[in-house]
Parts: sequence; C-alpha cells; structure tokens
Amino acid sequence: MAKNLIKFGLLVGTISVVLGGCFKKDDTIKIGVAGPFTGQYAAFGEQIHKGTEKAAADINAAGGVNGKSIELVFGDDACDPKQAVTVANKLTGQDKVIAVVGHFCSSSSIPASEIYAASGILNVTPASTNPTYTERGLDNVFRTCGRDDQQGAVAGNYLINKLNAKKVVILHDKDTYGQGLADATKKVLNESGVNEILYEGVTRGDKDFNALVTKIKGLGPDVVYFGGLHTEAGLLVRQMREQGVDVPFISGDGIVSQDFVISVGGAQYTKNVFMTFGSDPLKLETGKKVVESFKDDGYQPEGYTLYSYAALQAVVIALSATDLDSSAAAMYLKDNSVSTVMGEKSWDSKGDLTVSDYVMYAWDGDSYSELE
Amino acid sequence: MMWEIIQQTVNGLALGSIYGLIAIGYTMVYGIIGMINFAHGDIYMLGAYVTAISIAVISSIASMPVVLLLSLTVLIVVPITALHGYVLEKIAYKPLRHAQKLSALITAIGMSLFLQNYIQISQGARNQGIPTLISGGFTLWTDKISSLSAVMSYTQVVILVVTLVSMLTLAYVIKSTSLGRQCRSTQQDQMMSAMLGVNTDRVISVVFIIGAGLAGVGSVLVTLNYGSFDFFIGFIAGIKAFTAAVLGGIGSVTGAMLGGLLLGMSESFFSGLVNADYKDVFAFGLLIFFMVFKPTGLLGTPEVTKV
Amino acid sequence: MSKKESYKKLFKQTFLFFLVTVFIFVPLVGIKLLGWKYSLRIPNALFLIFGLTVIRFMIGVINLTPRLRGPFRKVFSQVSYLPHVAPTSISQRKKSLLFLVIALSFVLPFVIEQYWLSVMITALIYVMLSLGLNIVIGFAGLLDLGYVAFFAVGAYGVALLHHFFQIDFWLAMPIAAFLAMLVGGLLAFPVLRMHGDYLAIVTLGFGEIIRLLLNNWTEFTRGPNGVILPRPYISFFGIPFDKNSPNSFHNLLGIEYSLSHKSIFLYLCLLLIVIAVTYFCLRLKKMPLGRSWEALREDEIACRSMGINHVTIKLFAFGLGAFFGGIGGGFFAALTEFVSPSSFTFIESALVVSIVVLGGLGSIPGVIIAAVVMTLLPEVLRDIANVRVLMFGVVMVVMMIWRPRGLTRVLRPRFNKTSK
Repeated sequence: MAKNLIKFGLLVGTISVVLGGCFKKDDTIKIGVAGPFTGQYAAFGEQIHKGTEKAAADINAAGGVNGKSIELVFGDDACDPKQAVTVANKLTGQDKVIAVVGHFCSSSSIPASEIYAASGILNVTPASTNPTYTERGLDNVFRTCGRDDQQGAVAGNYLINKLNAKKVVILHDKDTYGQGLADATKKVLNESGVNEILYEGVTRGDKDFNALVTKIKGLGPDVVYFGGLHTEAGLLVRQMREQGVDVPFISGDGIVSQDFVISVGGAQYTKNVFMTFGSDPLKLETGKKVVESFKDDGYQPEGYTLYSYAALQAVVIALSATDLDSSAAAMYLKDNSVSTVMGEKSWDSKGDLTVSDYVMYAWDGDSYSELE
Repeated sequence: MMWEIIQQTVNGLALGSIYGLIAIGYTMVYGIIGMINFAHGDIYMLGAYVTAISIAVISSIASMPVVLLLSLTVLIVVPITALHGYVLEKIAYKPLRHAQKLSALITAIGMSLFLQNYIQISQGARNQGIPTLISGGFTLWTDKISSLSAVMSYTQVVILVVTLVSMLTLAYVIKSTSLGRQCRSTQQDQMMSAMLGVNTDRVISVVFIIGAGLAGVGSVLVTLNYGSFDFFIGFIAGIKAFTAAVLGGIGSVTGAMLGGLLLGMSESFFSGLVNADYKDVFAFGLLIFFMVFKPTGLLGTPEVTKV
Repeated sequence: MSKKESYKKLFKQTFLFFLVTVFIFVPLVGIKLLGWKYSLRIPNALFLIFGLTVIRFMIGVINLTPRLRGPFRKVFSQVSYLPHVAPTSISQRKKSLLFLVIALSFVLPFVIEQYWLSVMITALIYVMLSLGLNIVIGFAGLLDLGYVAFFAVGAYGVALLHHFFQIDFWLAMPIAAFLAMLVGGLLAFPVLRMHGDYLAIVTLGFGEIIRLLLNNWTEFTRGPNGVILPRPYISFFGIPFDKNSPNSFHNLLGIEYSLSHKSIFLYLCLLLIVIAVTYFCLRLKKMPLGRSWEALREDEIACRSMGINHVTIKLFAFGLGAFFGGIGGGFFAALTEFVSPSSFTFIESALVVSIVVLGGLGSIPGVIIAAVVMTLLPEVLRDIANVRVLMFGVVMVVMMIWRPRGLTRVLRPRFNKTSK
C-alpha cells in the first residue's frame, strides 16, 4: 500500500513537472484550436486542423498580428462534451490562449463556449450549425458557418417551389447537426402545408439501410431529404439506387466532400443528389489563391477546411484591431465586417452571420456545381 | 405487400450472414478459452483497409476480370488478417493464459483502442472505400398492382454463397479433421487435452487464426457490398456480432450463424415494418428477452456446475 | 545450450519476427489509401519494421547476458498479486500516511489551476463510479458492462429535474441517485439467473438501450441536443455563485469574484462524499452483506447452500452500485452543466471496468489509485496529441500483462486472531 502511494506521489510529481514546463514567449500570441482530432469524427477534426494550420502559417508569413506571430494550441475533444469542458479549461487556464477556434460538434461547442465566455475569450466555431450555440445570450460566440434553420429554409423552399414535392421522406442521423437540419427543413415544409410521409432516424456508423430503403420504396416518395453526414448519406443513396429508388436526394453541407463520391460507391450514383452549401469560395480571387496553395501541399480543402481558415482570419483581424483584447475583439466583430477567404463576412449581435449565403448545389459525376 | 416481405427477407439474410461470419470469430475464441475477444471487430476493420489497399494496388498494376480481382484480394486479405489474429493472441492474451479471465478482457479493450488509433494514424481519419465492382441483380418478385419489385443484388448472392461455403468448410474441419478434434477436446478440458498430447497452445493460436481469417473474408464481402468504411466500423460490427454470438449460444459455431441470421432478420423487419429509430433498442431488447427465458442462447449447452 | 547455439536461435527468432513485422506494417503503414488510389509510404513502414526488430534483438541479447538479465526481469516480469489475509488494523505509519493524503487532497484545489481542478473533479467522479462498480464486479463478482446506464440516469435525472421542475442540485442529486438505484434493481431482476459473460452481454445491451432511449426520445430528453443547465448551476446550498447577483457567494463573503470558487466547492463536496463512500465500502466488506457477496463471487452454489438468499444480495449489489453511479452522474451534470447522450457510450463502461480490474478487483485503495491514474493519464498524454488514445490503449495492455491481478494486493480481513 505504502509503495503504491509512493508511486502515486511520483505520478503527481511528473504532472507538476509537466505543468511547470510551460514556457511563455512574449513574441507569440496563443490561439486555441479545438476539435475532434481523434475518435469517430476525426475526419472533420482533420479539416479544422489543416485549415487553421494553413491560415496561421499564411498570417505569420505576412508578418503576424501586431508584430507577434501566432502559435496554435490544439485541443482534442473527440466530440465528447466532457472532454470539451476539460479542453476548454486547459486552453483558458493552462495555455492562456486569447481566442479559440472550435469546436466541431455542437454538443461540444455549447458547454465549452460557456467556459470561454466566463473567461472573456473570443470563440469562433467553423462548424457548429445548431442554433442554440448563439441563442444563449453569450457575447463572445461567433460562427463562420450558417445555422441549421437557414439551411433548412433554403432546402425547404427548393423542395416546394422547384421540385414541387408533395410526398417527402425526411431522414436524419439522430445527431445534433443532422436532426437539427432535418427538423428545420420539416418546419419549413409543414408551414407551407406539405407534411412528410416518413420521419425517421438512422444510426451513425451503421452500414446497412436496405430495410429502411425498402420501406421508402413502398411509400413511393417524390423526394428524400436527409440531415446528416456524407458517410451515411453515401450508403443511403447507393442502397436506394440499387433497389431502384431514383428520386431526388437532398442533404445539407455535411455531404460537401469528395469523400461523398467514395462513400456512394462511384460517380454513377451521384445523379439527382442535391445539397445546400455556402456560396463557392472559388469564385473569389482570394479564395482561389488559398485553394490553389492547399492543393500544392497535396490537400483538397473540403468541407470545413476553409470555414476554419476564415474563422482564424476573423479572429486575427479582430484581435489586431483591438490590440489583442479578446472581449473588445468580440465587440469589434459585431460592428465591423471582415474580409476572409470565404468573402466579406459580418455578424449580428448574437454572433450569427448577417448574410446567409446558402445556395443549392447539385452533384454531377464526381464534382458538384451551384444550381442556377 | 408480398414484394416487401421478400425484399426484407433478402435484406435480413444478407445482413445476418455478415453478422454471423464475424460472430464465428467471437464464438470460437470464447468456446476455447472462455474470453470475449473485444479486438475481433477491429481485425475485421483492418481487413476492410487491406481489401481496399489490395484492390487499389492490383487494379493499378493490371486490369482483370472482377472474379479474378476478388479472388486475388481474398488471397491477400485472409493471410494478413489471420497473421494479425495470431500476433494479437501472442501479445495480448497469451501472457494472461493463467490469469483471471477479466484481465484478458481489459487487454482486449486496450488492443481494440490501439488498433483503431493505429489505423487512424497510418491511414487517416477519412472514410475510405472501393469503387463499385459488381452492380445489378435479380428481380425476384414483381407486385402486380404497384409494379414494385423485390430485387436481390449480385453482391448479396455472393455474400450468401461465400458465407455458406465458409460455414460448411469450417463445420467439416471442426467435425472431421484431426485439428477439429483437437479444438473440441481443448474446448472441453484444456488440461486433460494437454495431458493427452494435444498442443493446446498451438490449438489456441489456430483458433485465433481461423477466427481472424473468417473476419477477413467478412471484411472483403462487406466492403464489396457497402463500398465504404472507416476506422470505427469494427466497434459497431463487433457489438452486433457479439450479440449474435450470444443469441446463438456462445461457443457454438452453428449457433453463431443462426444468431446472426436471427439478428439480421429481426433488425430488417423491425426497421422496415415498425421504426428505424428504435431498431437497435429492439435488437438489444430481443437479446435481453431471449436471455431471460433461455440463458444459454439458441444452441448453447447449459452450464453444469459441480459442487 | 552453448552460447553460440543460443545466439543462433536468437538470430532465427529475430528473423522470423522481422518477417512478421514486414507483413504487418508494409500493407497498412507502407501503403496509404487516397480515395480509390494509393500512395507509397515505405520509409515509415521500414522505420517501424527495423525499429521493432532492433528492439526485439536487444531484448534477446539482454536475456542471453546473465548480468543484464536479472535486473531486466525484476522490473518487467509479470507479477500476480494474490489476495493476502491479514488483520485489518492498520499500522501507525500507514495511518499517518493516510492522514497526509487526505489532508493534501483538501489543500489541493487551492493551489492548482482551473484546468487541473476540473481534471481532478473528473477523477473524483471516476473514483465514485469505480467504487460503485467495484461493489458489483469486485465484491459480488457480477460482470457488468452496462454500468454507464446508471451514470446516465444520474446525470439526466439531475438535468431533467431542473429542466422540468427547476429543482436545485442538492435535492435533485439524491432523487436522481435513488432513481438510478431503482433502475439498477430493475436490471437485476432479469439477470438473476445469468452468469459471467451472458450477464456481461445483457448488461452491455441494457446500457446501449438506455443510451439509445435518451437519444431517441426527443420530447422528453431533448434527444441528441442534450439538456443545457443554467450557469452557474451548482449553488452553495442555495447561495448562487453568480457574478452579478447581490446575494451571491462572493458578495456575502466580501471577496473578489472568481470562476474557481464554484469548482473548489464542487471538488470539496465531491471529496467529502467520496471519503464517506470509501469508508462505507470498507465497512461493507466486513458486514454480513459483504461477506455474502464474497461467497457469491467465489461459488454461487456453495453460497446458496449456506442459506444465503442470492436474490436479495444480488439486488443489493446492483442497487448499491447503481446508487453510487447515480451520485457520480449527478456530479458529472454539475461539472459540465450540459448532458447529452454522447457522454454515455460503451467505452465509458469499458473504462470503469478497466479501472476496477486494474485496481485489483475488490481492493478499495487499489480502485481509487487506478481511477486517478486512468483519468490523469489521458490528460498527461494530451501533449502528444494524436497518439494519445493509442498510447492509452498500449498502457492498458502493458499494465494488465505486467500486473494481471491489479496494481495493488487485495487485502482479505482476518477475523480469527488465534489462527495464523
């Protein structure tokens, strides 16, 4: 027993050494980046990692912030709210970051942002689209992506006005993002008097949706709407097409990725697949340059990569304008618009983008393009 | 609605036979050393990656008919997963052969975490896949009024055939070969078998190799059928396959197959006819219900405890 | 065997090891999938292959060198601590050490920063969970892989009681814990007849059912969105830790507002409860109930033949375990101030089971140490970012092989003082 206590003492000792080992450099400013870098959602964590890393490198190459260079501190939350709180405490308490880009999952961003708010730290999420994130009266939260309800409205209007859909099947992946999106679309449809004929959830990580597809086939819908990510969307589309259900399939920004082509099993299955997504950054001169530079590094900047890039840009611009004062920077973002890789962005008093630039895209083969 | 019932049966059979193939690995290991090999699902996950890698490599070297490509892939994947099964046993379970059973359970969980993260680091976190190799299928039944039809894709046919063949081969090996007899005797009484000259260490290794090899076959079939996978599939498939193994009576190879089919069918019919939301609740509820009335599963032998 | 022969054998073994590593690492590390194509990363694979082969060879050389073999084996060899029977009275030295540890843990929150404080609170929650599960697995020998269900019931109980009825933590937490106990009893009935691994899979299924219900029953639990508690949620027995309210904690004491007041308070409350529960568990071990659990664990048939009602004691084991799990869950809700189904996955159950096994099934000090180690370890490893969980898995395997019966020796109380 005593021996073990000594061992425990040694462990505590090691920890305190680790604690004491944090050096402080005066010529750098620390910005936290949090996301799921391990675990089930690590693919999205990678996008945040790459996006912010690139942005930091570009900003440092251009002279940094007020003469100081940016040092990113990454925190892995694995999309677990418990770890998100720990990471938030670590970033604010131990690493003393002055702003945080992240988290990915809404279920992580919401509890973590409370901790950032309590320490007066600016928090910009590149990916959490759940409305609750900005609806709690916190004055430090921002997002560079849209909200589920904005996306749902665009998809819902498209369903009603363009596709003239009467029999709609709505599916979701039983997660904050997917279900939020499905609910938002459902609301828009119901308000226009279109009631869905099926509203059901699939399980994240499942591979076999054949039973559900058979049920959908029996119902004979005009269109299938899915709130979720490309992994499940791809499998659903493939299994639908294999069973001969060729109706339009509509989803949100969770399927905007070349990986969708992989999960759907080839370009032959992407016909009649539509999605809502922000306006194409490739149209902008600055966006094009950044995308090219990503591609030179052998990385395809997909999904949330550019959102993360833009989030860090916004943070840096606000910080440099307010002399590195994080709470002043939050006020700055509410009053001023910022030029980012995704174009000119401005935020309302809650921290949502003032202009929702969601538009419809259609997949065609292995690429997608904006619908006229 | 006849077409719907036929279609759901086909769906359930295909899903169930995949569960069954993976469940065999659990049930064989359990039967022989009485331990839940939690890392088995991750061997299957690893097999999916090897499948995609070998398909990518082979098709970049030469283009060939699909049948040949798939046979070559199986010939590459099965030895590699089998080797992983062997190494896994050697590293994580063999040192704990004489320790309490729970210790091996913990190393299994540790290995499972390790394998998932090893693949995430070496292959990246994105989901991966293979191009669709076989498309199309048979029409089994067409409804006269709605003109909707039940289809069975060629891939589903391949799954059923390969599963059946693997099952029959395994059943033959266990029933009629010297190796099978050694396995069965080790399962009954490890110490007695050792006294009678059975190399039990070797038998246990072989069981791990067979289990992992079958998981390899399963991963080729699944990858062929669904086309995409990530480093997390092992965990989900593992829990389901393990449920199937217990439903069928853990320790019994035929039971694992039956349990897999039962689970696949009930999931299919439940989500097709009732509600997909509660599909998994139903699956686990069925398990609990079943266990209450038949605590040893479908084909499990009741435990006889001597005092 | 002569030296030459043994080296020859070593070379042969190393070569075989080399071949195995080639077949393991070349396909999965040497080739990386890129879409449907691939790219070669042979140097990475070669690095691993040769690195591991050299390590294997070195170990072989150490084993063949008598001078190095001794200390090497002393450190790395497997040691199974068998339970030992000893009088339960503790020596003066141990008493003072114990006192020191307790005193230190009370001082701790005032000297560490917020981050480590929140880690320590998480550690205490895990201590709580492990003590609860230790009753089920360690004392009664019932393998429960769905323990996270009770944790979830506790957390959701507290959160939903606030959500629907605005009930304060100090009332909601006991209610939620009793609710968890009820659920524990509910689970115990169908599993009364089951043993070992059948029990394991049924409890695993039960845990998954609870999580899925929390996720799917959107009207009641708010589904995947989770339940958000107001912040600051926990109060000093009615006095809020609010920054702006006039009656809040810091204003009444006349001290400056700090975020950490709330965390320190949470930590100290939890610490007191953990100490109480530890004492309770230690006493429980000596009580008839604890003795019957041990009898049940060692041999159910013999236990029943002795006239012990196995139904009652199993119910007690599940109920008490669930009760402590519920308390842990309640504090978890107070810590994160947000509960969602994603916190209650199977891996959480697996972690708590690992803690109990690593602590040495039934050893209370062992379980406490293991819980603290297993919570601190991932945080200490946080600096190596993406290999963090990988290392965690490796450490789990290595520790288990190194000490199969846990890190500490289980102490069985001896009652009859005359026999030795």
